[in-house]
Amino acid sequence: MEQENILELKGICKGFPGVKALDNVDFFVRKGEVLALAGENGAGKSTLMKILSGIYKKDSGSMTFNGAEVVVDSPKEAERLGLSIIHQELNVILGKSVAENIYIGRQPVKYGLIDWNRMYADADALFRHLNIPMDVKRVVRGLSIAQQQMIGIAKAVSFDAKLVIMDEPTSSLTDQETRVLFQIIRDLKSQNRSVIFITHRLDEIFEIADRVAVLRDGCSVGAKVVSETTKKELIAMMIGREMTKQFPPRDAKIGSELLRVENLSDGKKVKGVSFHVNRGEVLGFAGLVGAGRTETMRMVFGADHRRCGQIYLSGKEIRIHSPHDSVINKIAFVTEDRKGEGLLLSKKLRTNIVMVALDKIKKRGLLNMAMERDAAQKYVSELKVVTPSIQQKVMYLSGGNQQKVVVAKWLFSDSEVIILDEPTRGIDVGAKLEIYELINRLAAQGKAIIVVSSDMEEILGISDRILVMHEGRIAGEVKKEQFSAKLISEYAIGGTAL
Amino acid sequence: MNMKEFKGQVRKVTDALGIWVVLILLFLALSISTGKTFLQASNLINLVRQICVTCLVAVGATFVVCGGEIDLSSGEMAALAGCFSAMLMVRYGWSTWTSILVVLAVGTLFGILTGLVVTILNVPSFIATLGMMYVLEGIVLLLTRGTPINGLHEDYIAIGRGYVGPIPIPVIIVAVIILIGAFVFKFMKFGRNIQAVGENAVAAKLSGINVRMIKIAIFAVGGLLSAAGGVMLTARLSSGQPTAASDLSLQAMAGVFVGGNSATSSEHAMFNTLAGSLIIGMINNGMNLLEVNAYWQKVALGVIIISAIAMDAYRTQSLAKAS
Repeated sequence: MEQENILELKGICKGFPGVKALDNVDFFVRKGEVLALAGENGAGKSTLMKILSGIYKKDSGSMTFNGAEVVVDSPKEAERLGLSIIHQELNVILGKSVAENIYIGRQPVKYGLIDWNRMYADADALFRHLNIPMDVKRVVRGLSIAQQQMIGIAKAVSFDAKLVIMDEPTSSLTDQETRVLFQIIRDLKSQNRSVIFITHRLDEIFEIADRVAVLRDGCSVGAKVVSETTKKELIAMMIGREMTKQFPPRDAKIGSELLRVENLSDGKKVKGVSFHVNRGEVLGFAGLVGAGRTETMRMVFGADHRRCGQIYLSGKEIRIHSPHDSVINKIAFVTEDRKGEGLLLSKKLRTNIVMVALDKIKKRGLLNMAMERDAAQKYVSELKVVTPSIQQKVMYLSGGNQQKVVVAKWLFSDSEVIILDEPTRGIDVGAKLEIYELINRLAAQGKAIIVVSSDMEEILGISDRILVMHEGRIAGEVKKEQFSAKLISEYAIGGTAL
Repeated sequence: MNMKEFKGQVRKVTDALGIWVVLILLFLALSISTGKTFLQASNLINLVRQICVTCLVAVGATFVVCGGEIDLSSGEMAALAGCFSAMLMVRYGWSTWTSILVVLAVGTLFGILTGLVVTILNVPSFIATLGMMYVLEGIVLLLTRGTPINGLHEDYIAIGRGYVGPIPIPVIIVAVIILIGAFVFKFMKFGRNIQAVGENAVAAKLSGINVRMIKIAIFAVGGLLSAAGGVMLTARLSSGQPTAASDLSLQAMAGVFVGGNSATSSEHAMFNTLAGSLIIGMINNGMNLLEVNAYWQKVALGVIIISAIAMDAYRTQSLAKAS
């Protein structure tokens, strides 16, 4: 029997000046199903979600929710209807308690005052109902991203949401936390609620979703029942062509040792880490989130203070006490948070590209605009940055192109050792491949590359050698011929198998 | 050209001009509403002469604001520099130029001190400079015992009141300083690094910029130019007045912000500040010509400052939406 639809969209169009963000999108969600929404960055997923949640107004088209045609003109109206969205940037107030975050703006009132006891009791009952352990009186600050998401989900359920939309909820979760989230999604499903799940990770679609709908360039390309499709087919739908390879082939020519780190510790999260990386080599760092990989790299780069440890470049000990020292020693660090730590978002692309190596565009002691322009143009064409011009402010670039700008600024500073922390997080499939190709190219030029990644396939696909960290220590080294997801997972959770 | 294209063109021009649009409109409005008085050369020269001190301090404040900090102590720094230089000359018989150089150095040193407090002790600049403001105010009153110092040298007074041909000397000084400031912002590594630190100190640090050094340096420049502003003010008044500069910090800041500057400003920051200072100067001047009650002038000035910022916020927002 055909299941009932909770949401139906017909002919949705939305344009922005100069762009047609959504073009005649048709789309439906059944009651009690998990629908994955896939598509590259800029395919229109976020725009569609913003229309659903009343942040944007659609130009045309109709929307039927729970059997009746509705007009959602504000987030408040969406909530009233039972349509809840959990944004990528979590809307929580860090300084307030969990319960206050859920009932903010609609606190239970007794005699004109907030009824705190009832608020805490209600919130507590809510989390019990969802099988989430949570102290509702504690402040949100200090809770993990995953726990903050749980608050969002609980809030959605408290509105009796019939449809919960999650925008890339797993992008900053550990595997463990993702498992928990998936269990909650299954619970929501069993309560006959529907979930729209937006993700870049294809594995997750196959694990949690019943159906998957694909958007491309603002059009709906189609929907598939997950059990009847393949990854390959999905990728082809997303990028509009057959993707012959997910990872470019690697033909490594590994040279002499370039960077060696010995006995690096910060006294907290990193405990006596030693490793080396050679010219032309891509060294992968795997491990669970919180294993100390990022902390290790930040210390190597001089962004954080180390308690002990030596760093050698081409066999000679170097003094690294600040990122400035690293820049001098030609060590680059592409952070995992490109918006917060990597870019000057309101500045032009050209300004961002030269910011590390301003000395290179100096002529007689002064910055030379022509040299800056040439440098920017060179990297825009070399890295295939998609931008109207080098004058574009980087905040208007897509995630993949922003990442290329970050890499470009380090290439312009002639870095030899390049550390990339989660280089493809939040980047779509097509742009990922380009980043991988770029990594290969840099390695082929004799640079030493370190990639920290939580994406198992990625780390197996691009590395020449993998180190796995567990609780601040190197738990194991995996050579190319031994590469297996199982072995890495075992090391990552502290297994001792060999 | 149809209407839409025309609107687009107008849009392009106004976007490029930014705050100068407001300035031009205000200029036209005053030219019409005051009859011929506003446009008289003597009035225009007077107008620019009046904003010189504020503008000089505002250039220093631009360095601070674009570096992501704020300086509330610049007015008292100016008072100290003015009174101290007057004291050195009148009481101790120092020469004009030594006295000026010494107070400029004092201003720079106090700026560095503020910078150290902000970067080493991690006191937010709003608080650090608020404290510094009271410290400086106290020092000024201790030194002068609250009484003005008169009997300044003629060549000192010329800094505030002299002319080269028809052009007032302070106008020349300020013009040169603005040009230097604009030059630093566009063509020097220091200027670029200030803009990087102001927009995103973490990204700047991770790009190898010595953030602490830059922050100390912007306060030093702020202190230096505040001291210079103090000298110019004292010269203009022909006397070291301990309380004459009491709201100079805020006036200067008004110039910076009405000009549309913020921590994410780019290389046009100095000219924005000039525009902001000119707008405030024109409003004061225009209201005097129109014989608006002095108390109402304050109300109007406040409203205009808020409107200018609101307009700019609206403009940036719609600009962001359009992209």
